Amino acid sequence: MYERHILICAGTGCISSGALEVRDALGEELEKHGIKDQVRIIMSGCHGFCEKGPIFIVYPDDIFYCGVQKEDVAEIVEEHLVNGNRVDRLLYQDPVSEERVNSHDEIMFYQKQMRLALRNCGVIDPENIDEYIIRGGYIGLKKALKMEPLAVVNEVKTSGLRGRGGAGFPTGMKWQFANSSTGQKKYIVCNADEGDPGAFMDRSILEGDPHAVLEGMMIAGRAIGADEGYIYVRSEYPLAIKRLRTAIGQAEQYGILGENILGLGFNFKIKIKEGAGAFVCGEETALLASIEGKRGVPRHRPPFPAVEGLWSKPTCINNVETLANVPLILRRGAEKFASVGTEGSKGTKVFALTGKVNNTGLVEVPMGVTIREVVFDIGGGIRYGKKFKAAQIGGPSGGCIPEEHLDLPIDFDSLTAAGAMMGSGGLVVVDEDTCMVDMARYFLNFTKNESCGQCIPCRLGTSQMYNILEDITEGRGKPEDLDLLEELAWAVKKGSMCGLGQTAPNPVLTTLRYFRHEYEAHVYEKRCPALVCKALLQYSIDQEKCIGCQRCAKECPVDAISGEKKEPHVIDQDKCIKCGACYEVCPKKVRAVQVLSEGLKQNEENRSCEEGCKCQS
Amino acid sequence: MEHFIDHCCEKCFNSKEKPCDVFIECCLEGPLCHESESCKKAREAIINKYSHGSAFREH
Repeated sequence: MYERHILICAGTGCISSGALEVRDALGEELEKHGIKDQVRIIMSGCHGFCEKGPIFIVYPDDIFYCGVQKEDVAEIVEEHLVNGNRVDRLLYQDPVSEERVNSHDEIMFYQKQMRLALRNCGVIDPENIDEYIIRGGYIGLKKALKMEPLAVVNEVKTSGLRGRGGAGFPTGMKWQFANSSTGQKKYIVCNADEGDPGAFMDRSILEGDPHAVLEGMMIAGRAIGADEGYIYVRSEYPLAIKRLRTAIGQAEQYGILGENILGLGFNFKIKIKEGAGAFVCGEETALLASIEGKRGVPRHRPPFPAVEGLWSKPTCINNVETLANVPLILRRGAEKFASVGTEGSKGTKVFALTGKVNNTGLVEVPMGVTIREVVFDIGGGIRYGKKFKAAQIGGPSGGCIPEEHLDLPIDFDSLTAAGAMMGSGGLVVVDEDTCMVDMARYFLNFTKNESCGQCIPCRLGTSQMYNILEDITEGRGKPEDLDLLEELAWAVKKGSMCGLGQTAPNPVLTTLRYFRHEYEAHVYEKRCPALVCKALLQYSIDQEKCIGCQRCAKECPVDAISGEKKEPHVIDQDKCIKCGACYEVCPKKVRAVQVLSEGLKQNEENRSCEEGCKCQS
Repeated sequence: MEHFIDHCCEKCFNSKEKPCDVFIECCLEGPLCHESESCKKAREAIINKYSHGSAFREH
């Protein structure tokens, strides 16, 4: 028995913030104080609060330290573990009340969450199968093995679980199709090809709770009659792959995976296929081609993979988060799972909350909570007191939801009706300083580059749309471009062969729908209201405000600024490359450098500085 | 018995080659195939070793 357990988050985010150095320092300090045998160090999966990492929790005291660095460890050991006094300065500080809190239960970021798919992430050591079993692991599998395959299918159908990878297709129905397909050989494929920029939901589950995914795959195998499974995971997830391999090895050793599982006559083996990181390989038929060693491009459906999939055998493809939910459904019952969420969207959804919010990280919420709750309660609102502009939901295939829809419930049907989609769970929050036209251009650039090029609507359509958006953001937009852009977007959406092309226009269509005024400002007035599009900006120096400190002239990379010391300076517009360096260094009290967009006189006093801005020095 | 895969005594036969059909339940509530206070305590020791916080098993 240990007197204390210390959990250090070993998700990729916390590791990059120094979690491994913290672990090493902790080991040394425990040794130094002679208490190494009394304290157990657990390197857990992601706690979700990446903004505040590395996370360091002391049990049974339940003290949540955040932002811990190796230099802090000696104090934690000396003060907390030896003397019994918590280290207040490392506790989470509520940004509103400014009070320090002890436990994660008291932190707003966690209070509105419901962690089902992430139930073990940040709780167990993902490389220890015993901990997974203690937390109820593999009980769902045991139940499934005692049931008839169709009964397992029906249990999942009753739960109302829908695929978490993007389209939200009912999982039980997909299993039923695969179950009823004829053939001796069938496959289960776990789609872990998480490609949305900024998304890390699946990676966190694989890193933090790999056995949940293995168990989900085995239950799916039982349901459809498959004896083999593949996990298709991108090779840029090395930690996830390492932990999956460890978990597979342990499960095999325990007789839970392989031949005659748990002595009940069920055979199942799991292989890992590392992908090269092509976004289109997240599309199920492209993924299957990639596993087969072919170029990862989609094919026409039907036949659907449930009928003719991997090596032409019936194949059921499920996303990581979907599979992580399955053991819970079998263990706790379909009704319990279905009691969470909305009529059409049961359970929870994990989101990678990023962008201009105070609390970025991984959040899991019951279906039906509003965007406002996620952004303002869990996310802690917009950074630097700025104004919310939109939430981009569903990654590059998703759409932008504006402020007037902040109370929209997050579920499959509501998001689709609003022109967005659940997607795999990327949620990027943007503020008033974001140009929505530029944002649409950014996402379209991504999908254009990731298009496999196989079908014309996607290959040429996304390129043409990108060209138009580039024209608009660079001041060459024509009035007729807006209608042309919309027409093209619908053509690409309707004419493309796979989900990549069918959803690529969503950011364009939703920004045209909700932020058309910004497009019109770019096209008709040649101005960018958010002051983002460089071609539409002009930097100038207010002659009456300039004190001639020469900071701007020294900082300018192209020597476009001239002026004598203590005399007003001027910017040579022909030389200026609009990098904004002069604006950054102009003293805040002076604010002589101004950024303007044609036709718009921006009041620069209202443009507050971000943390670390050099002008305050 | 350091891990659940380790045999509590010679009566336990679970292995990769000969898996026991009540292995998972046995880890948490066992032993199920024989009566033994020491075998029961061995399992409890593993559970206690890894459990942290009051909610670890309440899920």
